[in-house]
Amino acid sequence: MTRGILLAVALAAASFASAQTSPDQQARGLLDDGRTYLKEGKLKQALDNFNTIVSGFSATDSVDDALLEIGRYQMEVEKNPDKAREAFEQVAKRFPQSDGAPGAYFYLGMLTLARTAAAAEIEDALAQFARVQRLYPGSEWVPKALYASATAHRKAGRFQEAVEAGRRVFLEYPNSDAAPAAHFEVGHVLALMGEPRPAMEEYQQIRNRFRGSEWAPRALDRITALYRLYGSPKPSFAADSSYSIGAGDILKDVRALLMTPAGTLWIASDKVKSVVPYGAEGKMGASVPGVDLGSLALAPGGDLLASARLGVRVGPRDIRSFAIPTDKPGVPEPLERIQAAVMTPAGSMLVADGKKKHIYRFDPRQQYQGLFPDGNERDVTRMTVDGEGGIVVLDQGTRSVQVFDESGRLLRSIPTRGAGYELHRPVDVAVDPCRNLYLADREAGILVFSPQGQLLIALSGPELRRPTALTLDPSGAVLVYDEKAERVLRYK
Amino acid sequence: MSRLVVRWGRLAGLAFLLAPLAGAQEPAAQPPLSEAVQKELGSVQDLLARGTAEFEGSQQSRSIVVFDEIVTRLEAVRRQGTLPPRGREILAQAFELRGRAYYNIGLQEKAADSFRSLVQLSPQYGISREKVSPKVVDYFNSIKKALVGYIAVSTKPPGARVSLNGEFLSLTDFFPLEVLAGEYTVEIVRDGYQTETRSLSIASRATETLQVELKRTLASAFFITEPAAVDIFVDGQQRATTAGALSPELIPVVRAKGLEPSRASARTEVANLSLGSHVVEFRKKCHETVRKTIEVLEPRDYDTEPLRMEESLASLRLRSDPPGARIFVDGEALGVTPKEIEGVCSGKHRIEVKHASGKFLQDVVLEKNESVTIDCPIRPSLAFLGVVAESAAAEGAQSDADEKIVQNLSKITSLNFLVAPRETVDRILDAERLTRKSLIPGAGTDPDLLRKVTEKMAAALEVQGFLIASLPEEKLRRTASLHLLAAGNTVADRWNVTFTEAASYLRFNEMVNQHATVYRPWTGLVTVDTLLHEGVPVLRVVPGSPAAQAGLQPGEILVAVDGKPVKQTADFLSAISQKKAKDRAALLFRGASGTRSVELIIAQTPQEIPLNEPSLLYNKVMMDLRQQVEGYPGSEAAAYARLNLAICAMHFGDYAAAHEHLLKAKSELPQRPGISQGTALYYLGVALERLGYKKEALDAYRGAAAAKDATLFNNDGPAVAALASRRAAS
Repeated sequence: MTRGILLAVALAAASFASAQTSPDQQARGLLDDGRTYLKEGKLKQALDNFNTIVSGFSATDSVDDALLEIGRYQMEVEKNPDKAREAFEQVAKRFPQSDGAPGAYFYLGMLTLARTAAAAEIEDALAQFARVQRLYPGSEWVPKALYASATAHRKAGRFQEAVEAGRRVFLEYPNSDAAPAAHFEVGHVLALMGEPRPAMEEYQQIRNRFRGSEWAPRALDRITALYRLYGSPKPSFAADSSYSIGAGDILKDVRALLMTPAGTLWIASDKVKSVVPYGAEGKMGASVPGVDLGSLALAPGGDLLASARLGVRVGPRDIRSFAIPTDKPGVPEPLERIQAAVMTPAGSMLVADGKKKHIYRFDPRQQYQGLFPDGNERDVTRMTVDGEGGIVVLDQGTRSVQVFDESGRLLRSIPTRGAGYELHRPVDVAVDPCRNLYLADREAGILVFSPQGQLLIALSGPELRRPTALTLDPSGAVLVYDEKAERVLRYK
Repeated sequence: MSRLVVRWGRLAGLAFLLAPLAGAQEPAAQPPLSEAVQKELGSVQDLLARGTAEFEGSQQSRSIVVFDEIVTRLEAVRRQGTLPPRGREILAQAFELRGRAYYNIGLQEKAADSFRSLVQLSPQYGISREKVSPKVVDYFNSIKKALVGYIAVSTKPPGARVSLNGEFLSLTDFFPLEVLAGEYTVEIVRDGYQTETRSLSIASRATETLQVELKRTLASAFFITEPAAVDIFVDGQQRATTAGALSPELIPVVRAKGLEPSRASARTEVANLSLGSHVVEFRKKCHETVRKTIEVLEPRDYDTEPLRMEESLASLRLRSDPPGARIFVDGEALGVTPKEIEGVCSGKHRIEVKHASGKFLQDVVLEKNESVTIDCPIRPSLAFLGVVAESAAAEGAQSDADEKIVQNLSKITSLNFLVAPRETVDRILDAERLTRKSLIPGAGTDPDLLRKVTEKMAAALEVQGFLIASLPEEKLRRTASLHLLAAGNTVADRWNVTFTEAASYLRFNEMVNQHATVYRPWTGLVTVDTLLHEGVPVLRVVPGSPAAQAGLQPGEILVAVDGKPVKQTADFLSAISQKKAKDRAALLFRGASGTRSVELIIAQTPQEIPLNEPSLLYNKVMMDLRQQVEGYPGSEAAAYARLNLAICAMHFGDYAAAHEHLLKAKSELPQRPGISQGTALYYLGVALERLGYKKEALDAYRGAAAAKDATLFNNDGPAVAALASRRAAS
């Protein structure tokens, strides 16, 4: 049924019902139904209801709520920030006294925050969140705005402010929906600040007070990951002898591993010329073909990025190739030895080429934007983006790991040599949400570094002979591909 | 029995004067008046007033018409047999005044008619010479003498009822009374004696005398008790109470029976006992009840054996939480708790223990020599102020809602729920020109006035909080909003119920019955959940805590509490939350070197009330906290309660009240790690900031930032210092 017909039907129904109910009541009915549709996953029906309110019941007191729902739909379902912004701005401008207005400011801030990590934009988002607190102090959106402020401060690197904003949520609104999220945020910030034990206590608050919330299992993963590293005087990893995944050719010539937050393990095997997924319960899913596979990464939206020599596959169908400008105008040179690629939170694609020894930046339309982070040559075989938007780069040429921000500023590095370790043949790198860095070295085994660059532990043992790829599961367990054993090992 | 008739003309005048006295001896039971008769009486009363005014005026003759109307109307009632004594009085006065009015205008025949009617109505009626002309009085008396004779009756024993033609005359013995001359049947009745009947002819101006010896048919029993004032029940009916002092001649008898004559009662009669067996019970407060059986074989007097009543006392030991509460036993003030009260009479008593923060109420039955200890938990009292309708349409449901709400809220156990006396509430509200609606949020009442009024009402009603219900404008008229308001607070908690459905109150009652405490059980053991272990690893041990005292260390894995497995921290917390301070908990740990058991003695940690917790009724929480503050002044518990009162005030946005509480809490709270002075300083900064005192807020934040070990929430909570520093900086 087209939207127009639906509208007509809704209006007809409305006029029929009008003998008994007021337009306000009818609009409220449509709104309630729309929200029920949303919960049931009937997204289109929900959107039709909301649009009907906006077009057919524009004078009722449900319009602001309908616009808010439309904005959320555009933001969360259609992933269309421009349309979402348009809807939220309508609420803020046309209905500044409505219940929906603080929600609109909240979402406008969230849209800005999601768009970039640039300081000015973060400030802009913070201003939106502050507006919610200042103009609508009694609104249910205040704790959400406070929580979002905490996230914004974290993104800006202002950890103390982030902790304060987050703590205000559970101090002043301990039973709001935002409270468990705020605990999580504070725990996360404390971990980033190098305070893992207070971080664990903060995560544990979610387990104790919000057992049924969606944050509780995530908190358990975070505590587990932190406790493994910081719970005892020395980190403790144990090889999980019972762990077994994949079989046959899939486990031959494995180039990369990637575990998604949902627990799906992707194995990039050049032997079977595919990237093969295994679900959390160990079942193999639909594979993605690829030749001369390199690294794997996750795009900000959750899509798999599989680098191959000539291009990068984004999700199951989108294959992108990249070219850089040459001296001859209009004659670009394609990249032919792609070794790694990542997508930044702002949507730029960073592509490392083994032949040119450079990382190139491309915009979402694959337009060349320049070199990253600078013009120095690097033999980059692995890249990943940490939870804070840092670009982690493994340079085999210098046998080191460097972390840059999106603008190319060096944030920290793991040099070839340091206290208690030396990198010989680093092959893969992974970072957990708390910025602990895990490095696979063909000769040195698995090395785990704190966010401050200190070696926490070196994993080795008879079962680990030649690691060539690694990834982390959500609870911080290390999954390593051993080239000699042709199997994936798990250290938990 | 003999009959003696005597002429007694000389005494007639004396008898006349005594007649009203004699008539007053028999209190005649009056049948209830019908509405019509009452109305008629009221009307003729007015007429009499008018007629009397006319009579005393210059045109006395005009009054005759009025008296005629009175006579006509009351005679009509009299003919129906429903004329009450007051009606007879009015009729008699009307006859008298009409007669005098006729006499004064020279119509003596008419006057005689009226006086004749008067004497026939009331033969003992007299007209005083002091107020009325002697001529008129003589004229009246001459008419009366021609109409009346006299009768005198005496009986052995006296006290018998005498009726003439079925109409009560007097109790024997009486002097001659005036009666209309004529033929009479005289009936003499006395309980316990055979009824005697005589026929008698009374001539005008003559006196007839009857002397009758009554024949006994029932018995009497006589009792002496030590002490006096003992209620005597015969066959379950109270018949007498011993009283007075023992007559001298009985002293030897009583002494011989082992009683103390000076404490013994007079010989007290219980008359009219039928022949046969009777159960007699002797009851006196604070004494053991005695039961005896007496056999009445013939109609005579029986003297029973003097009886000494044994005292029956018990003792009460009353303790209260908080102590220092005033004790009332059956309304009598008996000191303050804790107290042991000796010599309390056995039997049923109402114990009331009152404190500024609430009261305790219980009925007890004490046995002789029993020593009863009662713990008296003081509960705040909640006064129900009634139901208000928010619209005219809702007014119809008010009474039903009132009844249902009282019925359902009476099930609250954590508070004394009572219905406030309407007049007291109205008086206090009227004095401030407020109504019940003014107490409901949104009424726009000045908060300071609201605070003042609720405090006044609380003092008058001896309660700590109020509940008022409102009926919103609603088609179905099912919803009632319950507004719970602590005395001295300015914003009520609102809760909607479907007032007709008992189930609808359950959640509200449950929330009211939650008791807010400033402490919770505490071990100081901080554990976390991981996917790495079977149990939960210890992350931190709070210094000075029971866990630290037991030597527990981070890294140990807690696997069981009191024999129950601990799979996640929530299991451990749940087990501890069910314990009290000083309880023991058996913890089992697994470590590298095997398992070990540790016994912890549970301590307690102060805890904050969450600032916004939907499952709390903050006004009820405030009532509980005030109980701590007022019940244990100067204690740490009171200081923590004060801090939480401030948080409650902040919950309602009442930062001025919060500030007041925090200033006190700051000086009362200890200076030590955990919830302490630094905590109060932090919140003081928040309150001052909200009130717009930025400089003072900054000082408070700086003070909090300096309190390095102070925490929020509880002793395991986050540090205040970092938060305060940030606030100070911003």
